Formats: sequence, structure tokens, C-alpha cells
Amino acid sequence: MADRNHNLALAGMLALEMAVFSFTGAQFLTVGNAFEIARLSVELGLLSLALTPVIVTGGIDLSVGSLLALVAVTFGKLWRDGGLPLGWAVVAALVVGLAGGGLNALLIARFELPPLIVTLGTYSMFRGIAEGLTGGADNFSNFPPRFLFLGQGSFLGFVPPQTLIFAAAAVGFAWLLHRTVIGRGWYAIGHAPAAARYGAVPVGRRLALAYLLSGAASAVAALIYVAHVGQAKSDAGTGYELLAITAVVLGGTSIFGGVGTIGGTLLGLFSIVVLEGGLRLSALPSELTGILTGVLLLAAIGASSLAGRIPARFPMRRVAIAGGVLAIAGGVWLFVAMRPRGGPGVRRLVIAVMPKAKGDPYFVSCRVGAEEAAAALHADLIWDGPTSMDPARQNEVIEGWITRRVDAIAVAVANDVAISTVLRKARANHIPVVTWDADAEPDARDYFVDQATAQGIGYALTDEAARLLGGHGSFAIITGALTAANQNEWIRFIRERIAAKYPGVTLTAVRPSDDDRDKAFAETQTLMKVYPDVKVILAISAPSVPGAAEAVKQSGRGDVKVTGLSLPNMCKPYVHAGIVGSVVLWNTRDLGYLAVYAADALARGTLKAGAARLHAGRLGVVQIQGTDIILGPPLVFTKANIDRYDF
Amino acid sequence: MPPLLAAAAVTKSYGGVRALRRVDFELQAGEIHALVGENGAGKSTLIRIFAGAALADSGEVRFEAHPVTLRDPLAAKALGIAVIYQQPALFGELTVAENIGLALESGGLWRRIDWKQRKRAARELLSQLGSTIDPERRAATLSMPEQQTVEIAKSLGARARILILDEPTASLTEREVTALFGVLRELRRRGVGMIYVSHRLEELPGIADRVTVLRDGETVETRKMAEVDRATLIRMMVGRDIDAVFPKREVPVGDIVLETRSLTCPAAGVKNVSIAARAGEIVGLSGLVGAGRTELAEVLFGLHRPSSGSILLRGKPVAVASPDVAVRLGIAYVPEDRRRHGLVMPMSVAENVSLARLATAPGMRGLDFQGENGTAREYTSRLAIKTSSVATAVQTLSGGNQQKVCLARWLTAAPAVLILDEPTQGVDIGAKAEIHRLMSDLAAGGMAIVMISSELPEILGMSDRIYVMRGGSVAGELRRADATQERLLALALGEEDAAA
Amino acid sequence: MRREASVAIAWAALLIVLAFAAPGFFSAGNLRDLLLANVSTLLAASGMTLVILAGEIDISIGSMFAVLAVIAGLIARAGAPMPLAALTAAGAGALLGAANGGLVAGMRMPSIVVTLATMILWRNALNWATGGAWIENLPSNFQWFGLGQTAGEVFILTVAAVLVVALGWVLKNIAAARAVYATGAGAESARLAGIPVRRVVFWVFVWMGAMTGLAAVLDAVRFREVQSNAGVGLELKAIAAVVVGGASITGGRGTLLGTGLGVGLLASIGPALTFLHISPSWEKAIQGAIILASVVIDFARGAEARKNG
Repeated sequence: MADRNHNLALAGMLALEMAVFSFTGAQFLTVGNAFEIARLSVELGLLSLALTPVIVTGGIDLSVGSLLALVAVTFGKLWRDGGLPLGWAVVAALVVGLAGGGLNALLIARFELPPLIVTLGTYSMFRGIAEGLTGGADNFSNFPPRFLFLGQGSFLGFVPPQTLIFAAAAVGFAWLLHRTVIGRGWYAIGHAPAAARYGAVPVGRRLALAYLLSGAASAVAALIYVAHVGQAKSDAGTGYELLAITAVVLGGTSIFGGVGTIGGTLLGLFSIVVLEGGLRLSALPSELTGILTGVLLLAAIGASSLAGRIPARFPMRRVAIAGGVLAIAGGVWLFVAMRPRGGPGVRRLVIAVMPKAKGDPYFVSCRVGAEEAAAALHADLIWDGPTSMDPARQNEVIEGWITRRVDAIAVAVANDVAISTVLRKARANHIPVVTWDADAEPDARDYFVDQATAQGIGYALTDEAARLLGGHGSFAIITGALTAANQNEWIRFIRERIAAKYPGVTLTAVRPSDDDRDKAFAETQTLMKVYPDVKVILAISAPSVPGAAEAVKQSGRGDVKVTGLSLPNMCKPYVHAGIVGSVVLWNTRDLGYLAVYAADALARGTLKAGAARLHAGRLGVVQIQGTDIILGPPLVFTKANIDRYDF
Repeated sequence: MPPLLAAAAVTKSYGGVRALRRVDFELQAGEIHALVGENGAGKSTLIRIFAGAALADSGEVRFEAHPVTLRDPLAAKALGIAVIYQQPALFGELTVAENIGLALESGGLWRRIDWKQRKRAARELLSQLGSTIDPERRAATLSMPEQQTVEIAKSLGARARILILDEPTASLTEREVTALFGVLRELRRRGVGMIYVSHRLEELPGIADRVTVLRDGETVETRKMAEVDRATLIRMMVGRDIDAVFPKREVPVGDIVLETRSLTCPAAGVKNVSIAARAGEIVGLSGLVGAGRTELAEVLFGLHRPSSGSILLRGKPVAVASPDVAVRLGIAYVPEDRRRHGLVMPMSVAENVSLARLATAPGMRGLDFQGENGTAREYTSRLAIKTSSVATAVQTLSGGNQQKVCLARWLTAAPAVLILDEPTQGVDIGAKAEIHRLMSDLAAGGMAIVMISSELPEILGMSDRIYVMRGGSVAGELRRADATQERLLALALGEEDAAA
Repeated sequence: MRREASVAIAWAALLIVLAFAAPGFFSAGNLRDLLLANVSTLLAASGMTLVILAGEIDISIGSMFAVLAVIAGLIARAGAPMPLAALTAAGAGALLGAANGGLVAGMRMPSIVVTLATMILWRNALNWATGGAWIENLPSNFQWFGLGQTAGEVFILTVAAVLVVALGWVLKNIAAARAVYATGAGAESARLAGIPVRRVVFWVFVWMGAMTGLAAVLDAVRFREVQSNAGVGLELKAIAAVVVGGASITGGRGTLLGTGLGVGLLASIGPALTFLHISPSWEKAIQGAIILASVVIDFARGAEARKNG
């Protein structure tokens, strides 16, 4: 009964979301959009489906996202390096998924260890093995088209193949949970494990099955993910476990076990996915998705908990209606508040610009330039992207923009293989595409705003490090995340440059900072002690330069210098103190500015294929070589010139 | 002298079901006042109201003639009311000393704890009860009677002016009961008023001064204990006369169905047990609590793996690896702890009844909802289970009806061997007689029944043969004709060598 | 004590390996750096110990940590004296904790769901508000509370040590803390024993928030600027340390000593890998294996005890 009430309330909320978005979001209520939204939610959906029985038994599985990554990279490795035929690689991937689920099952069902701790351990371990196997950096791509069809193709022109797998899985799980002896056992275990055991339910076997299925679902989701994104890397599926748990719990499954339905999970999943898609089409920032998801979760669980406590006087329905009214009010407020205020009757261009990661200070600084350009051009700027490096998320945002029919797209590409398919689709829909900061495959975009090539950056950084070392000695690198594609590319060219030009220089170690200043700090401290002969720290992600510099400063090691790639404002004090010898970077504001100008010119038709120059506002005339719009060489900031820059 | 504690016209409903209707009750200082009634008569609700765990809808609770509102257990505690619940409410992860300390020590949240003093106090209180439990043991490692002892030590130390005991002897041995009664008499001498709830009517004349009978949420009568005999009490409780309580019929006994040979399981504390049960026979398993009877049953049901020895079904050795294997082999077990083990409380009657049969079905088999409801309906009428429908959650049923649901579950599995662990504990008298009649019927139908019971009259009345267990082994075997309470006890206590 | 002993042995084993393979690990400088780097984890794990003892969980602390560091930075930048900034951060932390606690204790919602929601909520709200920008141009008295590096380091370590030792003592000896144990060991029994269970749960979350605020400040003052993406994964580190330290995830069992050992063990792995020249890409796998090993060992010992008992 409580189930049904919850589902009704949730269905109401979902309907409300859709109603609001059909007003606020351009192209929201179209069949194409519905299928695109479905396509995007398949991986998460599979994990949510498999988590439902797990949570119904009173358990939890935090390892699904990590297992997805492990399956993805073992699949990629077996296919590419192991030379396994694709079919066998798929089979092997499923075996890995079952083995991962089996480990959880063994520890939870057989040893009766608490699921939260066990899967917290495997959460860390599975991703750790994925990172270990690939060194974090290895990225498997170039899968054959017949495999990619699974994730990117469509039947009859509009039905994504993976949605059929998802539908089959949903039916299968619903049947298993609600209609079979196994499902009855899961509920009994969730209500009272001891009573289930004394009632002759084979508790161990039933629990084991729930975790095995969870492993299998992770494996299938991994294959679909790889086919969808076109690449397999050890950072795949980061954070999916929490999203999936959110969907399941939102769907009315009790975290204490015994209560929950597949129908509820589907509703919970669609509420989140529709919210996310709708906000994107309404050009609202993606952080709002998180904020509203949190609120939705609290409201839904709060309403259930209230309804459970005071059923007689305060019926669930009233709570649901109250919640619905609040949501309407909130939705309308957002709609009104967030609408761009253009002059009436004037058609403003909508330029959608995407950073690799929104929170990265580097891109925060690019945004300032982008906004400046949009203001100068009287265009509406949509600035959105993943909150952290996440190629899959980039694709989703662009899918949304295509549906929304923005006038131009400018993307800082996190992974060229992963994103090119969707960019081609945008171009096929007559939306001009500019890439900036990092390029996609050349046929997937019109122009690339080229601030510097990976080779140029790698060589410039090596030259700086060698100069500080005086041509002789060893240095160490503090990189971003071990899986960061850019940095790994630079490191390749750094090694190449050393081999070619600096025989006296050695690269001693590469340590990750995960784009966390504090971690860069701690890693640098350790590096200096383990390798006392390292005299230069080359920090190649924006937050890691101040982190490394602070570590050097606090250690009092006057003989160690820091250089790297970062924003001048972050490094000024250290440059002046002589700890940071120099910082290499181009003008990030100008980069953002130029990207918007190029996109705008393409959208207006003033920039055509084969052009040789572009008029870009305060930057004046910018040269074009082939399809590369040249920003100019990187700047080297030193004590002498750093105060002249403010970004 | 005004009563120490009184309820006047107290009424309480739970979700439309009236649990108490204008109940009057008085407790004098220095009195042991027995409170009896069938399950569902309202005893627990009245206790909860006195304990501050529930609030009366109307009527008054008076303490020394002053009306009081007991909003929470703290308020009751402040008045010196201590409650010992049937299920000891100890903190498993904490030590005995801390359990006692938490109950006894008063003072602010920010006071410092004197661990030495705590241990000393705990040891002292326990020794007053003749117990030698180590105060530093974690409570989770205590046996049920040990936990009960700690609970009593708590109230002893609290110098409670009012002590409410809910079935305190349900899991105590005779010796422990004697010790407990000694303590209660001492407390009575000190002027403590005690409410004593028990289903064991036979023990009341030895301890209670007065008795109040509740029936269907109403006070029937309060009488001096000396004025009423057992038959009268039963009549007051059920409102009608009950025939002889234990009607096991003589039926022809068939071949051996279940047999164990030198069965040993160190994990469960079962040592070298050889027993047999024949078709049509009710075999009693007697012994003190902790003698290994429940553990033996759990080994037979596949909840523990034996390390050596064998289990034979109809002469063939079988490996009972788990309960579902046991069910498939034809062994059923109705456990002692109904709430924790016997039933999945939030699930419906139908779902609980079908659980055992599902154990023998393949996991992927689809559920037959109609068949499930039909079977459940059939058994509710056959066993006279009082429930509004088979879709009702079993947690809303009374204890006796819950026990019948549990029985129904195992009957649907049509077992060859039915093991019943304290089948009538905490069950009202009417239901008890029905369960006994049912056991006779089942035996007559050729089932082999193994019954564990701590109630000697029940064991003696129902069993064809009795095994007495002590320390995990069989101490002796008695035929019905030879069995007396004295011999059973003597065997259980180890004062007589194995007979027959 | 037995459970703490096995963590201590595991840690000791790691340290012995290091003593032979990389004696540099034990240099005063490295130990100091290691301590300072883990002050925030230690404080967060201390708070988490209480939460887990009470039978609850808080996975929102990583997000709270970031929010509170930014708050401390903003207040310091507005010119407020550092003690005030620190207190405000702790106070704001207590407020965020009170939000969690209110929903868990007041509305009786499961803590894992509530804090999952607030985790998502605070992190996204912060990203929206700051757009990822750091809090720069802080006054010179921000770093090291204006005490200078050496005195600042001593101050931070002293504050953390005093807090943790005091909390450890309180957990053992003060009635209020024992009420936390009782609540986690059995909420219904605790209620019947007169312990205000819901208030205990509420205040445990408030305390968790305040400790997070303090951890955020003590971490932030080691630098010149406040980064806005701090604390990602802090909740998992803290929970792992508490559990590896022998606390029962269902509540009622655990000590601060165990948590301290758990923090020490897990915090040593990363630097140890560097000292042993092992690729950093295996760090997560090793940490996961240690968490699993600790629960499996616990299980094995439990099985042993069952067999003997």
C-alpha cells in the first residue's frame, strides 16, 4: 500500500517535471528526445535494476561503478592487446563481471560480512585493479562498427539498440523479483534474515544470486558504455553507484530491506534522467540537477517516512500534493528566473560552449573570456559540461544541445574518440562545431581553436624543466588524475623530447594529484624525500603547481624549483618568491574569447570553410592555418612579466 | 493506605483495535500482584502504560494516589518503576557491568564514569542473586537465563519501588526460579510492590499475594491468591471451562522415521546424541534450558553442520546441509523464538504459510498467487486462525494465532518429522489445547513428532517417550509409563544415572 | 582491545617492511608531513567514529568539508580574525550537521539516504556558487593562523592531538559518550533505559559537522588559498579508517584508538608505495584489499571464537 502511494506520488512528480520542461525546454517533448534520454540512461538503468533486489534484501552494492570500469578495461585489453576475437572478449567481460559479483557474493552470502563494508572494499579494489592494469592511462578505442552499433546505432532510425537490452532486463528483473520463488525469498530475507533462514529460504544462495546479478548487470552496462562512448578507460562509471542507489531509493525501495519494486526503480530512474535532460534543454546549469535530485530524494523519503508515522490524520496523498505544488512553484520560479533576458523581438544566437570540467580553475578562467565575447556579440552563452573529467557526460550534454538546436557548439574535447560521433551528428543537423583546447577527429568539427598542440606543450614544458636544471639532473612530474587524457599525452611528448634532446636529464617519477591541490602538495613532499636528487618538479595540472610550490616552500629546500602549466594568478606569490621558476600557459581568457567568436562567426556564416583569417573583436585579426585557428604561442610567465596578466 | 500504583478506567487503542477498556488495577507496597490473562487480553499493554512506553487514551494512572502522566520510560524510571521484559533488553556489545551501570547510575550526561565502582556494584548485585557472571563479559555472549539474571540484578540495584516482571521464569531453570523467588520475597519484605505476569499458573500460589485477571482488554476480577485455585483462574481467563489440557491419544506406532547415531556438533554444543522417533510417536525432549535441546533440533534442521555421527531418515543416512534440504527430506522445525525465527512478521499470512513449500520449488518457478491464497485460507479455517484475511500481516495477529500460522506453514510441507520447540510458550490456554489436539491428530496420521518443552506437565502429558538432555548429550530415556516429574528433573540435573 | 591489536599488527608489519626497504620513511620531516597531511582525515574519522558507534553513517562530510573550507576562506578574506573564521566554520559545520541530524533523528529517515542527498546537494550548490573558482588573495594571517610555518604546524598538530585524545578519553569515561554506544548497541533498549536516543543521534551529527568544519580549517590554513573542490572522497576515507579500526558498522562497538590506527594504516600506504617505488596506479587496489582483509580477518577470528566458545 505504501508502495503504491509512493509510486503514485513519484509518477505525479515525474509528470510534473515533464510538464514544466515541455514549457521551459526547447524540443523537450519530442520522440527523438525521448529515445535519446532513454539511450543515455541505459547504463545507469541497468545498475539501478540490479541494485533493486540487492537493496530489497537489506544489502547494498557500492562496487557497481568500479566493476563497470574493471570490466570495460579488461574487455578492451583482451580485445586489443590479448588479440581475442570480439565475441570472446564479450564473453570474457561477462565472466569478469560475474567474478566481481561472485567475490561480493562470497564475502557477503557465505562469510556473512556486512555488505556496506565488503562493497566499500571492492569499490576501491575493482577500480584499483582497473587502474593498475592500465596504469590509469591506457585508453582502448577503435572498436569495430558492428560493436559500436550496440551503443550508438539505432533500429528503424530511432530505437537505440541498448534500450532493447534494457527493456529486456527490466522485464526480467521485474519477473524475478515479483513473480518467482527467488523474489519471494529476497523479500523475506530483507524483512527478517533469521526468520527467512528458519523458514527454509536458502538465504546464502539467494543473496549470492542478487550480488552475482549485480555483477552481471555491471558487465553488460560496461559493454554498452564502451559501445556508447567508443572507448574503455579505468575512470569509466565513476560515481555511478551513488546515482543508481539514488534512483532505487527514490523509487521507494527501503534501504532497510523488504520493500521495493522494479516499477518504482524505473520511476525513480526516469525522474532523475528527465530532470537532468530537461534542465539541460532549458539551458540551466547542470549543478541544478544535483541540487534538485538531492531535494527530490529528501522530499520523497521524507514524505514516505511521514506517511508511515501518521497515516490516520495526515494521508500520504496530501503530502504528495503539497510536495507537487512546491515542485511546481519551484519549477516555475526557476523558469522565470533563469530565462535569458534578451530584448523583445530580437533573435539572439545561442552559443553552447563546453569545458572539459567545469570546476577546473583553468576552465573557470576560460569562461571569463567566453562571457566577455558573448556580451560583445549580443549572443546567449550556454556554458555547461561535466563537473569533473567525464567523456560520457560530455556526450550527453552535446546530445541535449543537438535536441535543443543551439546555433553553434564549441567543445573542449576530453576524449577525441568518445566525442567525435556525437559531434558529427551535430554537424549533420547543421549545427556548426568548433573544438577548442583539445581537438576531436578532424571531420567531426569545422574548426579547431588551437592554443598549442600537445606536442608544443610537451616540448615547451620539457625545455623549461631542462633550463631550470641547467641541462643536467633529474625531475619529477605531478600530473592531474592518472587517467587524464591530456596530461598523459603531454607526458608522452615530454619523454620523447628528453630522449631526443636532453641526454643529461632524467624523468624520475610521475605522481598523480587528481587535480586536488592538497594531494599535489602531499605527493611533492614525499617525492622530495624519496628522490633527494630531484631538483625540478614539473606540475602539469593547474591546481598542482601551487600545491607543489607550497610543498617546496614549506620544506625549505631552496635547491628545488617548480615549473609547469598553470594560471598566473594562482602562482604569482610563488613566482615572486623564486620557488616557481616559470609557468607556461597561453592566455586562457583569450582562448575562451576566441572560441566564442569563432563559433559565432560560423553560425552567422561569416566564417566559411577555407578562410584564412578571422576578425575576433579585441584580439584583432587571427590567422587560420587549414582548419586551425591559431591563438598564438604559449606564454612563459616569469618574475618579470607575471604581474601584467590577470587570469 | 493508598495503593502504590493504580490504573483507573484506563483505555488504550492501537489503530482502531481496542487493547484496554476501562481497566482498573491496584498495586500495594510489599505485595506481589499476579497479572494473568490469555494472550491479547491486554497484559502487555497495561505494562507498557505503567512503564511509560505507551500513553493511555483515557483514564488515569496514579502513583501513591496522585495522578501521573508517564510520557516516556524516563518518567516511569524516575518514579522508581522498573520493568523486566520477557525478551531481555541488554546491549549485546556492552559489558555486563556497563549494562547494569546504564540502568542504575543517575546523574548528568557529563558525569565521569567510575569503572571500578561499576564493576564492584555489578559483582555485588549478581552475587545477591547467587550468580557468578563476570561483569566484564560482553552481554552478547550470555545465555538467555544469564541475561535474565542481569536484568533482575538491574532492578535489584535500582532499588525500584515497583518492579514489573513480564514472564520472568519463561526461560529459567527450576533452580534459577527458586533463586528468583527468594529474591522477590526479600524485595517484598523491603516493601517493593511487584506486578508479576506469567502464563505458568502453577507457580503463582507459591509467590503471589493477589491476582488480577484480564480478559479481552477488561478487568475480570482481583482476588486473593489463596482464595482461587487453578481451575477457577482458568475459568476466569477463558470465561469457560477447559477440559483436560493434554489430550495425547494412543495411536499405533510405526517404523523408525528419524534416527541419529552419535551425532556431534561442537559449534552447537551437541555431543554424541543417539535418538530415534517413530511414525505416530510424540517424542519429548526434556532438560534444562541450555541443555542442547534447541541446538539438537537446529542440527537436525540443517542450521548447523554435525562434525561426526549421522542422521538417518527411514534407515538411510542423509546429509542435512541446510533448512531447505531438510524440508526436501521431510523434516520440519517450528522454532522457539516466534518473532525472530518463526515468522517473517511484516509479511502476510499467505506469504508466511507458503514459505516452506517454496523452499522445495525451483527458484525460477513462477509464483501461483491463487494457489497460495487458497492454501492459506484452507489452513486458517482448519487451524481456526483468527485473522481478517490471508493478506493480513502476521505481526498484527496474537501470539497463539501466530504460532498456528507457523504450524500451518510446516504442515503444508507435509513433513515426515515435525520438530516443535516450545510449541505452546507464550500461547494462551485455548490455543494451547488446540495445538495439543492438533499434535495428536498429526501423530495419528503417521507423522513422527519431536517436541521440546520446558513445561514438565506438557512433556509428561504429550510424549510417548522422553529423552532427557544434559550438557548437550542425552542423559536418559524414559517411557511414558515410567516418567514422573521427579525422574525427569533428576536426570536433567544429573542426579540420576541414565535409566532404561 | 583484540581488534585494535590486529590493526596495530598490520600497520607494524608495513612499517617494518619500510624500516628495511626505505628507512627514509621514518625521517622526522616525513613523519611530520604525514601527520599534517592526515589531520583532516583523523578529525573527520573521529567524528565518524561517533556516528558509526551510534549506528548511523554520514557520507556527506566530503561535500561539507569543501563548503566549510570556502566559508572559512570567505570570512578570513572579509577581514575577520582567524579564530573567528575557524569558529564560524565549525559552527557552520554544526549547522550542516544539524540539518542531517534533524532529518535523521527528527524525521526518522535513514541516515545513508539523508546524507547521500545532502552530499549531492552541498557539492552541487558549492560548484554553482563558486563556479569552481578558488578563494584567493587571503590576508597573510590566514596561512598558519599568522603564526609562521613551524609554530603553525605545532599548533595544528597540538589542536588535533588534544582533540582526539580528549575525545578518546570522553568516549571511555563520560556518560554522554556511553549513551552513544548504547544507542548504537540497541536503540530500543537504550530508549527503555531512559536514554534520549533521538537527541543522541541528532547531536552526534552536529558533532560530526563541527569536526568537519574544524578539519576543513586546519587543512586550509596550510595553504595560501582555499580550493573549492576539496574533500572529494573524504567520507570513504573516514569510514574505511573507522571500519578497519574495528568498529562495527551496525553500531555499539569501536574505539577511537582503533580509528586512529585505521587512519595510520590507510594513510601510510600511499607514501609507502612511493618509498617502495611501486606504481601509484595500484594504490586503490591495495587499499581496497586491506579493507577486505580487515573484515575477513575479523570474520575468521569470530569463527575461531565461535568454535572455541
